[in-house]
Amino acid sequence: MIRVATSLRTTCAVLMMCVMLIVPASLTHAQSLLVPMDDAQRNHLKAYGLAFQAIKSAQRAEWLLNYRGGAFLLPDAADLRRRAALDGISIEPVSDADVARLRSQIAGGNMDAVVLERAPRVAIYRPKDQPPWDDAVTLALTYAGIDFESIWDDDIMRGDLSKYDWVHLHHEDFTGQFNKLYLAYRDAPWFIAQRQRDEATAARFNLPHVPALKKAVADDIRTFVEKGGFLFAMCGATESLDLAMAAFNVDITGPFSDGTPVDSDADARLDWARSFAFRSARIESSPYVNALSDIDGHQVNVPARRQPLGTFSLFDFSAKLDPVAAMLVQNHRTVIPDFFGVTTSFNRAVLKPGVTVLASEPGAPWVKYIHGDYGQGSWTFLGGHDPEDPQHAIGSAPTDLSMHPNSPAYRLILNNVLFPAAKKKPRKT
Amino acid sequence: MNRCTPVVRVILLVAAFASAFYPRQRVQAAQVAPVVQDPISAAIAHEDAGRYAQAAAAYRQLLAQALASRDEMDQIALALLGLERVWHESAQRDSIVPVVNDVLAQRPGDPVARSIQFRALSAASRDEDLRLAFVAWRRAVPDDAAPWREYVRTLMSMGRPLAADSVLANAARVLGRSSELTGEVAQIAATLDRWNDAAIAWRTTVTEMPWMEMAATFSLQRAPDHARDSIRGVLSAAPVLLLPRRLLATLETGWGDPRRGWAAIASVRTDDSTLTTWTEFAERAEAMGSWSVARDVWRALYERADDPAVGTRAAQASLAAGEPLVTLDLVKRIGKNLSAERRAAELLEIEVQALGELGRAQEAAQRVAAADRYLDDAQRAELARPLVGAWLRAGNVERAREAATRAGALDDDQTIGWLALYDGDLVEARRRLVRAATRDAALTDALAVLARTRTERHEGLGAAFLAVARRDTAGAVERFARIADSLPDAAPALLATAARLAGTMHNTPAAVRYWERVLSQHAQAPEVPEALLELARASVRSGDTAAATRRYESLLIDHQGSAMVPQARRELERLRGRVPEGFGA
Repeated sequence: MIRVATSLRTTCAVLMMCVMLIVPASLTHAQSLLVPMDDAQRNHLKAYGLAFQAIKSAQRAEWLLNYRGGAFLLPDAADLRRRAALDGISIEPVSDADVARLRSQIAGGNMDAVVLERAPRVAIYRPKDQPPWDDAVTLALTYAGIDFESIWDDDIMRGDLSKYDWVHLHHEDFTGQFNKLYLAYRDAPWFIAQRQRDEATAARFNLPHVPALKKAVADDIRTFVEKGGFLFAMCGATESLDLAMAAFNVDITGPFSDGTPVDSDADARLDWARSFAFRSARIESSPYVNALSDIDGHQVNVPARRQPLGTFSLFDFSAKLDPVAAMLVQNHRTVIPDFFGVTTSFNRAVLKPGVTVLASEPGAPWVKYIHGDYGQGSWTFLGGHDPEDPQHAIGSAPTDLSMHPNSPAYRLILNNVLFPAAKKKPRKT
Repeated sequence: MNRCTPVVRVILLVAAFASAFYPRQRVQAAQVAPVVQDPISAAIAHEDAGRYAQAAAAYRQLLAQALASRDEMDQIALALLGLERVWHESAQRDSIVPVVNDVLAQRPGDPVARSIQFRALSAASRDEDLRLAFVAWRRAVPDDAAPWREYVRTLMSMGRPLAADSVLANAARVLGRSSELTGEVAQIAATLDRWNDAAIAWRTTVTEMPWMEMAATFSLQRAPDHARDSIRGVLSAAPVLLLPRRLLATLETGWGDPRRGWAAIASVRTDDSTLTTWTEFAERAEAMGSWSVARDVWRALYERADDPAVGTRAAQASLAAGEPLVTLDLVKRIGKNLSAERRAAELLEIEVQALGELGRAQEAAQRVAAADRYLDDAQRAELARPLVGAWLRAGNVERAREAATRAGALDDDQTIGWLALYDGDLVEARRRLVRAATRDAALTDALAVLARTRTERHEGLGAAFLAVARRDTAGAVERFARIADSLPDAAPALLATAARLAGTMHNTPAAVRYWERVLSQHAQAPEVPEALLELARASVRSGDTAAATRRYESLLIDHQGSAMVPQARRELERLRGRVPEGFGA
């Protein structure tokens, strides 16, 4: 038996030598760039921009799930090397033999290589004249150098969502109640300007008030996902979008926003079949309580209910069987400090049964990061406003991401930008 | 006990002492329960040990005793606050409400009980009960501002500044006065970005309650640029009062303009408080490196107090601000009232430095000679360096050397090293300067050049450094650039020195010219990354973004190991709008 094995090894070696003689030298010396995403990486956030550039310029890019923190394998191209040098991204030139060893290692563990095929067309829901410093996704994409366009209510009402693969929402209140900031900021010039802008938009589309406008926008977003779009939402947009969709035919807004009181049986009439993530939540009808519903576990703007920040843990997923969830949690850290937002977390009690929990705070009744499918598309919700400014408040100084190039929580945002580029059709366990 | 023998008594006495002094930890380790006699001690001991149920029982016992005795006000407060704490820890915060209601039935105006009640009700979001509690408190003490103040603070902590604002408006109407609540008015106005109202309220508050100045500073400091003029107008309005002006001075300093800060307090009528404020402000200006402001403040203080120590600080600040003439004037005035001995001890070094800065070395030497009998060896050595510097600035290396010799400074490596360099003796200069005790920018530049050449003598190089010492920056720039051709091994270092000096004179065209020579003629030199960074910055300043980007990128790609890379990357990020303005270099 040993002799047979030895003979087989000798034959293989001879065959390999023959192959190496036949294959042109240029191919045997072809190299790739490995972009490590573990602690060897100097700038994790910019590394996503490098991968994005590769797929944008139609070069082959692979995402090595669970391998060295979710490394990228890119061709050894001059433009990529140049950008890595400019952005301070750690890269490791690897030979084909190294790649073969790496693939063998991936095949034997909870890892997988996902081909990134096409750069997604990215849109961020934000007023076009807004500076980029008050929205974690705009910050992350701007810093990483990933192209995006801004779309706002007019664009969505005109049907422009269909031009994009990936849409991001941040802290917009889709119930049309301005995050109930009316109570504290009604006299503030920026608030007055925002309110006048939205009322003018509603009037342009013959809608009676801002809640009607925002509900219409929310419904267009729902249709976008249903038809195959990818949605990523953070902060208050998560909760308010689901509430607006569920309340399409119900008045859940206070008189300060639409002139009429909340429907007395509003909770009972909410249609949760229209929502993505939540069910059976109860709306907060008091205009004096700065919360939209009981979806948020932390209730940061309601002092009596506010819960302290802890840490949240990312779950492990099978890279081969559940690549989408695995992509969304690629990171060099598994435990991440929590951060507040208009909506910080999501109470487990109101999650729909099919929702995949990607991260939660151990022992707490809430979760932080969730994902699910809707129609032919999918959505991901991440609670909180700015991962590197956990106590962010209106008027806080903007976050400078060059001070946080290894931010694990910002990586979660960028995972979402890249995963629509994956070639493999996701399979859920 | 009466029947105990003396021996037994001794044993019992020793045992009693032993138990009394036995370490507390050992007693706890043996799980012996602490012996407590009264409910206060018992409650605190239980609370400290995390036994909240027992602590609550003890606090309740204490409360019952205090209420029965009817005059134990401190104990009622202590018990209520203790109950609030332990029930909060054991997640039974609501439990305090009925207890506090019982207390309030007997003492409806008790401020501690009321504030606990407010906290409990707001924590439970019982808004209507909170309002009713406020009404009840108001009725109990109709002329007191405390209920209004507590209710307003509670509403603020609940994130309801507009409701708090309405309550304050009511308070002014009902109480017939609002002065007791100006702090709250100010806080709310600032929260709502009503900066003028906030400034008015803070002006009143700090005038009547000086201890609120820190709160006022924090509140107004975040006012945006466009609101600051109105704040300035309010705080500096007539009548001129020290406390609002002091607040304005602190704000101006925080907003980056200490000169305006000094202007805010300079015109206040002088008394002891004003002089104390000025002294603190002068020290803050010094700490910020705002030497000209510090000089003005110290001088104003000196004019009022006529204290030589204060005058000396004014002279030192003036010298640091680069105004030697003013320094000499001050030294003259201060010295009039001092003995010759004190003048030598306290003012001579400043005077010599000032004269040196003006190139009046002869006068400096005369001053030192005249005061020689009052100087000891240590003082003479201390004066050697400014005197040598004075001769050098006058361009007289020989006299500088004489001064060094006379003061016994020939074993001072730094002084002798510089003198050797000015003579063109590069070997001696290299040997001495490398051992110099201090390191400043001029010395670093000199060592950088000396390390790059094997040449042993070069008068031109000495003359270039001497021009720097004489503050002849333009001449130094020209000399360094000229000798770059005759010292080829040190050429890039010499060009870089010329470029840096030109930069300090804001002579950007010359600086750019020399940096470009470094790039074009010495592409492998270690000065190249610095040249690229400086050229990129010059392009940014001239608005040529494309050229700036090209330079930054060249630095980042071709010199990845350079220490300049992180700075260049940040500046490039800022140029591309990928990080917020106001951050970075």
